[in-house]
Amino acid sequence: MNPAVEHAAPELVELRIPARAEWVALARLAAATVANRLQFSIEEIEDVKLAVTEACTAAIQHEGHGEFILLTCEALADSLRVRVRDNGRPSVRIEREPMNFDEARVAGLGIFLIRTLMDEVSYDVHPQHGTELLMVKRLGPQAG
Amino acid sequence: MTQREETRPDRERTRELFAQFIAARRGHEAAPDKPNSQHEHLRAELVVVHLNLVRFLAVRFANRGEPLDDLVQVGTVGLLKAIDRFELERGVEFTTYATPTIVGEIKRYFRDKGWAVKVPRRLQELNLAVNRAGDKLAIALGRSPTVAELAEHLHAGEDEILEAQELGQAYNLLSLDSEVSGENDKKSQTLADTVGVADAGLALLEDRANLERAFAVLSGRERVIIYLRFYESVSQTEIAKRLNVSQMHVSRLQAKALEKLRSVLAE
Repeated sequence: MNPAVEHAAPELVELRIPARAEWVALARLAAATVANRLQFSIEEIEDVKLAVTEACTAAIQHEGHGEFILLTCEALADSLRVRVRDNGRPSVRIEREPMNFDEARVAGLGIFLIRTLMDEVSYDVHPQHGTELLMVKRLGPQAG
Repeated sequence: MTQREETRPDRERTRELFAQFIAARRGHEAAPDKPNSQHEHLRAELVVVHLNLVRFLAVRFANRGEPLDDLVQVGTVGLLKAIDRFELERGVEFTTYATPTIVGEIKRYFRDKGWAVKVPRRLQELNLAVNRAGDKLAIALGRSPTVAELAEHLHAGEDEILEAQELGQAYNLLSLDSEVSGENDKKSQTLADTVGVADAGLALLEDRANLERAFAVLSGRERVIIYLRFYESVSQTEIAKRLNVSQMHVSRLQAKALEKLRSVLAE
């Protein structure tokens, strides 16, 4: 369909924004743009945008949040990988159960929504370097 | 830490409620015709306990052109489905189990509305055009279209489509002198030009904020008709042809849509 895509993947886009609500729209737009490079449907792009919004909001809202959010979007051949990292201190230790209310405390109820919208979700928590949320959305059979 | 203390009892209570409910549900399933007040009572209580989750999720989809109350309502249908199917042995939190069902129900509602492509508004007309094309392409393709397909269809750039989707809320105010890019063979028009074709009944529509609010009450098809009729000056006969319905039907829908707009704007 779009010849650019065949040569595009893998591509990496990084965006560093202040950890403030007014910058979240830019993160959404960046993620949407990369998702579009992979020819996700408009509905799937809305899913990605919503997931990024929830992830950024969680990074901004938790107490002891950091100064910035680092968004990394990777366009791979078959999927979009989005990482949202903040440099705040994690306010709650995450237990390693696949999904529980303690994890929900870190990302709010948004984490439940993120898991619904994206195909893979995982966390990495560094006591010194903040929290990183990795989200993967795979290309469906209809796209590409 | 205090939050942690507060959450634990809820979690235990939810599990307890579900244990009781599932027992009652088994009884109900064994004898569906027999009145089972305990089953009904516990089911209702579980709904109440989880309404916050439904609201939380519904709000996330509220910028896509349907009233929040409607989204809460369909979300609650999803919640009920989840409650009726949940088993404790699955070993997952109910919230984990219910969220996809609730979101699925909300998304299905948008699709059923023929309004699957949910685009926060920037230029009302570009937005409407994207939606209209989205509906049309979705029917033609049997799936949600890609941005590239929409852009090609509308003779617009992909970034314009994305921007119209993304930056809508930030740039609601639009000058009447801003150019509305037409198709290549048309001379460029300003928004004021296009507003000029509206009939007297739409004279009130100068206030864009009101207009946006008013448009929210229209169904997808009504929006398409109002858009084509008053933004693109397409005749009723032509609209009828495009929508594959009779001209009389278009006339009725248009009258109904205008009536809705008037009543909202009069509020």
